[in-house]
Amino acid sequence: MRITLFEQAPYRYLPADFEERFDSVCDTPYALVDPRRMYESMRSFLDELMVGARSGFDALLVTEHGQSAYDVMPNPDIVAGALAYATELEGLNVGIMPLGRTLGKTHEPVRVAEEYAQLDVMSGGRLIAGFPVGLGYDVTINNGVPPIEARGRYEENLDLVLRAWSDPAPFPWNGRYSRYPQVNIWPRPLQSRPPLWVTGIGNPHTMQMTLDRDFGFNYFGFSGAKLTGKRIFPRFWELVERSGLPANPYRVGFLQTIAVADTDAEADRRYAEHAEYAFRKGLGSIPSHLLGIPGGIDIQGLRAVFADPGDVGMSRQMRGASYRELVAAGAVIAGSPETVAEQLFAFCQEHRIGNLHAMLGFGSLPTELVRDNIQLFAEAVAPRLRRLWSDTDYAHHWWPERLGGSPITTTAAPAAKSDNRNERTVA
Amino acid sequence: MSTSLLSVRREAVTVLGGRLTVEVQIAGAGAPLVYLHQAGGFGWDPLLRHLTERYTVHVPEFPGTSPDDPPAIRQVVDWSDLVLAYQEVIGQLGLQRPVLVGASFGGMLAADLAAHFPELPGRVVLLAPLGLWLDEAPVVNWNAVAPDKLPALLFHNLSSDLVQAVLQLPTDPEQMRARMVARIWAYGCSGKFVWPFPEHGLRRRLHRITAPVLLMWGRQDRIIDVQYAKEFTAVVGDCTTAVLEECGHLIQLDQPQLTMATLDNFLA
Repeated sequence: MRITLFEQAPYRYLPADFEERFDSVCDTPYALVDPRRMYESMRSFLDELMVGARSGFDALLVTEHGQSAYDVMPNPDIVAGALAYATELEGLNVGIMPLGRTLGKTHEPVRVAEEYAQLDVMSGGRLIAGFPVGLGYDVTINNGVPPIEARGRYEENLDLVLRAWSDPAPFPWNGRYSRYPQVNIWPRPLQSRPPLWVTGIGNPHTMQMTLDRDFGFNYFGFSGAKLTGKRIFPRFWELVERSGLPANPYRVGFLQTIAVADTDAEADRRYAEHAEYAFRKGLGSIPSHLLGIPGGIDIQGLRAVFADPGDVGMSRQMRGASYRELVAAGAVIAGSPETVAEQLFAFCQEHRIGNLHAMLGFGSLPTELVRDNIQLFAEAVAPRLRRLWSDTDYAHHWWPERLGGSPITTTAAPAAKSDNRNERTVA
Repeated sequence: MSTSLLSVRREAVTVLGGRLTVEVQIAGAGAPLVYLHQAGGFGWDPLLRHLTERYTVHVPEFPGTSPDDPPAIRQVVDWSDLVLAYQEVIGQLGLQRPVLVGASFGGMLAADLAAHFPELPGRVVLLAPLGLWLDEAPVVNWNAVAPDKLPALLFHNLSSDLVQAVLQLPTDPEQMRARMVARIWAYGCSGKFVWPFPEHGLRRRLHRITAPVLLMWGRQDRIIDVQYAKEFTAVVGDCTTAVLEECGHLIQLDQPQLTMATLDNFLA
């Protein structure tokens, strides 16, 4: 089992009555911010990730969210660059995993290919590259992309990035969404192809795409994995079986918010207030209509969601959720090392999860408590989880070679064409 | 709204070199009229029924909104494709200088058709059209508005029987879901030309319109402020402008009688 450290970069000092006074965490007036405290929030976030790197986590994960108070991360590659160099300096063999640059929204796909390639070189081949489609409001409102074009733009940009990494000769790219007379990026990734991961919310189309292209599949348990896990993971493994692929647990990543203390009672005492901040003033304050902007989900997807909305878990209740409700839904797993390890082990075993992304800093949690959470998890929880899957013969094909992985060397991506305007259904 | 008393036939027209088939609903008898519907879809409302008494009313369903062909929208690559597709539809239907009526999103399309092809329409009626942009009065993007806040933005006379009937969802859960899915998808399809702005350079082409234009706007339009009426009036050569009092964005549903009377007067 690979165990990674994930954090978002929230501004940690939003007013207590934020969710009563403001509609959304996606258009928060910057006037609420004290610049000194923004610096503190960002500095603590980076320091905490480095604590994780020194505590033996297998990788450091960050996400991309523009114009958002709950994750101040307009470009995760900047943070990943800082981490790549700092960990090289300290000789820390840890993966750098932006989850990552959002290809459905980007107007500069070659820039994404360049940034990731540079990260891989800077880190000496430790990049694990994430490529999400993007969230509705970020794609459309922050970046002006029509929602119905997000998926087509994503697929075209992905083809372009993979070709920019691998084509030995300069080539022209006459795409539907971007056009470059010459693509010939410097540097290229150090790895023959960095491991690729896609984050999905349960759409079988996205799951199947990760199988067809041999990417890893990430699922975030924010909306309550006790509610949604039994829906999402069996769906994924059924597609794996139907595709005739081995049920290799390492092709799945699972992200979970976790709060560890010496005892269950101490965990509740320490973390309740900050977990409520994280969900109420974070994900719970993203209005559902800004995630589901018309056009972003195709009509078959809409029919499926309306017929059975179970994949959204407790998302709609999150804005007023109490700590107890968050724990009951599994949005947060909290308690003593024994309690937490037992729950995580059972969950990861049941759903064949080979990569656990532990979210150990969240919301307004003060940096001292985040560090405690990271260190206690690393010392007392992670060792109990690592043995999971170690007795199987599965190789980790979605992990850098330098970090013990056996990456796939041949690209599984469909061959990209220089003029693909007539070869795909547009949008 | 029921079509029970109205005899509607359908015709499928293939355009864009075979790439796209547009379904056209046709009702009434008389001189040709083409109606371009608003972003959320289409129903035979009282204004359109009224028009069928004197005109053969043709309503092309926006690509993607025909029940049997949701992916059709993917064949329309850009705004230019859309304008050309509608010009070809009208040509293939064999309509000679039809009255061209467009509401809201359909108004933007009607205005640009008339600007690209000045000889195409006999007359043009624009009901609170999109198509221009003023930084000081941003058009509200209904796609990003919470669904429960939308009715108050679209209508002034929220409590009228007609508006209530339009807003009413079916009580049968399956029918209700189907209606909601169809509406969201319709907004998604037209949304292809709404993001980032419902503006495709129309201002630079408006002067090309030669047909007489009737421009109608609701004084209480909370989607596109009534000051946009002045922008159209200033550039369009032969423009009759009517601002309706006590009227919101979807004019023909908010003030059906007034809309019909103004339109009849213009077309007389």
